[in-house]
Amino acid sequence: MIDRIQIVTLTGSVALLLLVLELVRRRKLTEEYSLLWILASLGLLGVSLAYPPIVLVVFLIGVVFIAALCFSVIVSRQRQQIERLIEETAILAAEMRDVRAAHSTPDAGVSEGQPASRSAPNRPAK
Amino acid sequence: MTRPLAVIPAFNEAASLAAVVADLRASRTDLDILVVDDGSTDGTASLLDRLDVRWMRFPERVGIGTAMRAGLRYGERLGYDVVVRLDGDGQHRAGDVARLLQPIEERRADVVLGSRFTEPARERAGVVGVAQQLLARCLSALVGHPVTDPTSGFWALGPRAVRLLAEHLPTGYPEPEMRLFLSRNALRVVEVPVDAWPRLQGRTSLTPRHLAAAAARVALAMIVVPLRDRVSGARR
Repeated sequence: MIDRIQIVTLTGSVALLLLVLELVRRRKLTEEYSLLWILASLGLLGVSLAYPPIVLVVFLIGVVFIAALCFSVIVSRQRQQIERLIEETAILAAEMRDVRAAHSTPDAGVSEGQPASRSAPNRPAK
Repeated sequence: MTRPLAVIPAFNEAASLAAVVADLRASRTDLDILVVDDGSTDGTASLLDRLDVRWMRFPERVGIGTAMRAGLRYGERLGYDVVVRLDGDGQHRAGDVARLLQPIEERRADVVLGSRFTEPARERAGVVGVAQQLLARCLSALVGHPVTDPTSGFWALGPRAVRLLAEHLPTGYPEPEMRLFLSRNALRVVEVPVDAWPRLQGRTSLTPRHLAAAAARVALAMIVVPLRDRVSGARR
C-alpha cells in the first residue's frame, strides 16, 4: 500500500538520484564524491518504501551529518594540499632566482642592474 | 661544520624589517638570512630585493607556520643544517642569537627556545599574560619539562630538528603545538633566557577573538598531539 507521503518521498529520492547522475554526466561532480550521494539517495529510496516517515527523517539527518563531515575532511585535505603547493611554488621561485643569479655572475658587467643579480645569495657557500 | 641560516617569517613588516636585517648583519657576520614573506600587502615584498638577503614570497597569506615550514625546507635544500628563527618586527635581539646557538653547537640540544619569562620578576600583564601563564603551566605538565614561554618566536634548530620540522612543523597557531610535537618526537629542547624589545612597528596578532580561537586550538592540540604517531625519522 502506498500512501501520499510515500509518493512524495519516493519522487524526492528518485529526483535526487537522477540529479546526481546528471551532475556526474556533465562532469560537474567527480565520481569520487558522487558515490556518497548515490548511496544516500538509494538508501533514501529504500527507507521511504519500507519504513514510516519518522524513520526517514532520522535517516535523512544521519545522511546529511555524515555528508557534512565528509566534506570537512575533504576541505581539510585540500587546505593541506594548497599549503604544500604554495610552499613549493615559493621555494621553486626562490631557486629559480638562485639559478639565474648563478648564471649571471660570471659576466657581471653584462648583468649589472638586472633584477636577477640583485637577488644573488648574500654570501657564497662555505 | 655547521652552516647557520636566520629565517625571518614576515607579514606586513615593511616598517621594521630593514632594521632587523641590519641589526642581524651587524652582530653576526657568519649568518645568512632568509626572509619568508607570507603574502604581505604593505610593501614588504618590494623591500625584499633591496635588502640583499635570500627571500621567498607567498602569493597569498597562508600562515606563519606554513611560511616557516617552507623556509626550513628551502634552507635544508640549500645545505643549511642550523636555523635561527626570529620575528621581523624587531622584538628579538640579534645579540641573543649566539646564546641560542650555543647549546646546538655543543650538541646538547636539538631545539633551543628563547624565553622572555625565565625570571619570575617579569610580570605578564593583561588577558594575554594570564592566558600565557596558564598555557605555560599546562604545557609544562604535559611535556614534563618547565616551559616558561610557550609562545616564543625566537628559536634555534639543530640539524635533526631542521630535517623533521621542514616536513612536519605544525601550521595555524604553531608555537605551543610545536612544543608538544617536539616532546612527542623525542627532540632535546633547551630553554635559554632572552630579552625582548617591545615591537618596533605593527600590532600583535593576538586580539581577544584570536586569543579565544588560539586557546581552543591549543587545548585540542594538547589532547591530540600526544596521541599521534611519531613521525618517521624521529628517534626511539
